[in-house]
Amino acid sequence: MSTSLPPQAPIRASLTIDATVDAIADATEWLGTLAEAEDWPVALKFGLELSVEEALANVVSYAFEGIDAAPMIRLDLLELDGDRIGVRIVDNGIPFDPTNVAEPEVPESVEDAKIGGHGVQLMRHFLESLTYQRQGNENHLTLVTKPKTP
Amino acid sequence: MQIEREQAGEDVLLKVAGRLDTPNAKPFEASLLEVVNTTGGGIVVDLAGVVYVSSSGLRALLVAGKAMRTAKRKLSLKSLQPQIREVFDISGFSTLFEIS
Repeated sequence: MSTSLPPQAPIRASLTIDATVDAIADATEWLGTLAEAEDWPVALKFGLELSVEEALANVVSYAFEGIDAAPMIRLDLLELDGDRIGVRIVDNGIPFDPTNVAEPEVPESVEDAKIGGHGVQLMRHFLESLTYQRQGNENHLTLVTKPKTP
Repeated sequence: MQIEREQAGEDVLLKVAGRLDTPNAKPFEASLLEVVNTTGGGIVVDLAGVVYVSSSGLRALLVAGKAMRTAKRKLSLKSLQPQIREVFDISGFSTLFEIS
């Protein structure tokens, strides 16, 4: 997916969460509060919340296997030009670039369907761009929504 | 997440409400498999009250769907809200389950 980010988008708000499945709810609640305060369109909020959850599910499940350092996960709400919303997810886990994950094959039956692999597919659908960078010992994954006004 | 269970003839109707997200996915999967393992008829999952689903929620349904297929029983879904339907459509799950 293409990148449409300014190189140094200012950070409007940040949230640090634990590296647990239950802490994903802290992140989605944080987004929900921002969405309500800023009156984000319902469909945009749904897609961003879903995309952030899918990204965090990968991070808390896999990023810290075999890592000695204390896990760190931070979400930054980015100030973007125009009417898009950006969220950058930063973690100090093992390098993982979800933008390289291949699309799952469309299964023909429940028997053929593989369990997993749909998170990135959903992110690609709901976002305008999904950008990955490895900076030092950190993964930086930036999610940018489609415009609020289509 | 709330799940209400009703008997409908030989089938079990599960009325699910709330969020089928990553934190809720394991309890949801356990609830589905409990019905799979303790009953013998079909299962209908009513999603009218579900406001959010992520791939973890889809995964729980797929695990139950595979178990039901192995047992030669039917698991079907009903009453998906438009945004929930969109998630099913994008992921290809709409064609895996009978949806009414």
